[in-house]
Amino acid sequence: MEKKKILLVDDDADFTEAIKLLLESRSYNVAVANDGMEGLNKVRTEDPDLIILDVMMPEMDGYQVCARLKIDPLYSKIPILLLTAVGDAIPTTSYTKEMGMKIEADDYIPKPAEPVDIVERVEKLLKISVGKKT
Amino acid sequence: MPYRVMRESLNAVIDSLSDGMLVTDTQGKIILYNRKAETFLSMQGETALGQPFQNHIQNEVLVRLITKILSLELPYRTEEVCLIDLGDERLRVHVNPVRNEEGSLIGSVTLLHDVARLNAIDKIRANFLSMVSHQLKSPLSSTLLQTSLILDGIVGDVNEKQRDLLQKVRTKIKGMVNLIHDILDVCFIEEGGYLSQLENLDLAEILQRTVELMQPQTQDKNIKLNVTIEDHLPTITGNKSSVEAMLINLISNAIKYTPSGGEVSVVMSENANNVQIEVSDTGIGLEEEDIPRIFDKFYRVRSETTKNISGTGLGLSIVKRVVDAHYGAINVESRVGEGATFTILLPVR
Repeated sequence: MEKKKILLVDDDADFTEAIKLLLESRSYNVAVANDGMEGLNKVRTEDPDLIILDVMMPEMDGYQVCARLKIDPLYSKIPILLLTAVGDAIPTTSYTKEMGMKIEADDYIPKPAEPVDIVERVEKLLKISVGKKT
Repeated sequence: MPYRVMRESLNAVIDSLSDGMLVTDTQGKIILYNRKAETFLSMQGETALGQPFQNHIQNEVLVRLITKILSLELPYRTEEVCLIDLGDERLRVHVNPVRNEEGSLIGSVTLLHDVARLNAIDKIRANFLSMVSHQLKSPLSSTLLQTSLILDGIVGDVNEKQRDLLQKVRTKIKGMVNLIHDILDVCFIEEGGYLSQLENLDLAEILQRTVELMQPQTQDKNIKLNVTIEDHLPTITGNKSSVEAMLINLISNAIKYTPSGGEVSVVMSENANNVQIEVSDTGIGLEEEDIPRIFDKFYRVRSETTKNISGTGLGLSIVKRVVDAHYGAINVESRVGEGATFTILLPVR
């Protein structure tokens, strides 16, 4: 079976390195983008099965990236998992879970996240999206 | 007689204060006010003396605070402090119960202090804290994930000693993340964020969900958690996430300070026009001298029995802030070695 490809968009290099190690140990292909703009470009070139997206990034934040992809018929079916340090039990900034869901992200997981939780969400999203991709 | 001299000049003194002052009797009739209060509250007419305070105060928050202090349904009347906007002025308001020598309630006294500048500084401070906390949280999230990956053996085998040390690193990082969450909670409440997100809350449902979250904690410590919820409780108007934070902090605090094998009981019921939440435990209890300070930020009771209990010192200050933000009241009864009972009243509005 062909390996699924996951695109990771996060400006924290230590974090992407760790997630990459985790997902590769679970036999996923992983591509990395270090900011929102690069993320959008890599969606086109890498053709991922799933995108893991950080919210707070300089220039273009994760919400903007997500919103752009979800209105584009070519990419709107790719599941997006928002993974971010904002939007805690009590939202302190304008970045909240509700807002993430409003722009149609498929799932949301707060940082810090346990490896098992990340893998579980990824598996769940990929299962749902089977057959969706054109 | 000095007393007579003081009384004669008292009116002049009160009128010369830079703060506004307004005193009512238990019926809410105005019995004293000074010039500054007249200005701040834009009081009209010849005199407001003898009239109900509601006739002269338009600000809803202030009316509610004075009503609360005079309310017979709230047994724990303590000082109420809040910030209100009156016209162009931003005021810090203190409302206190007035008691006679026998300790009976004879009225309320309200002080109005102009804090426009102080408030601006407060806001900068809260924003700064929240920014710093977010900046701290990101690297900690990475470090925690890296540690978990090594512990899970994803990057190679780990020997016993390494595992042991890494577990300790992990526990420390988690503690720091918890501290940051607590600081962010406090910032959120201090910034007044709850005001923009009010909804009707079913407290019974929120409590049930909180109790489910507590299961791992109670099982780890072998503590029996009894929950009693009265049927058909009224809803209250409030901010969901902050009420959740209040319950989580209160119950996990009870669990934390109760030795293994003990019991924690939560009773939710209707009391007059309030929803009452009573959390009692069979834990180590509190010294009388510590009780007034336990709601202070970063205050932790230091003793032989508590030195091995980890915590941020913010939990109960979050509880108190959430209770205040919902115009509620909180009371603590405790004796050393005999557990503690926290009672919260949240008014139904």
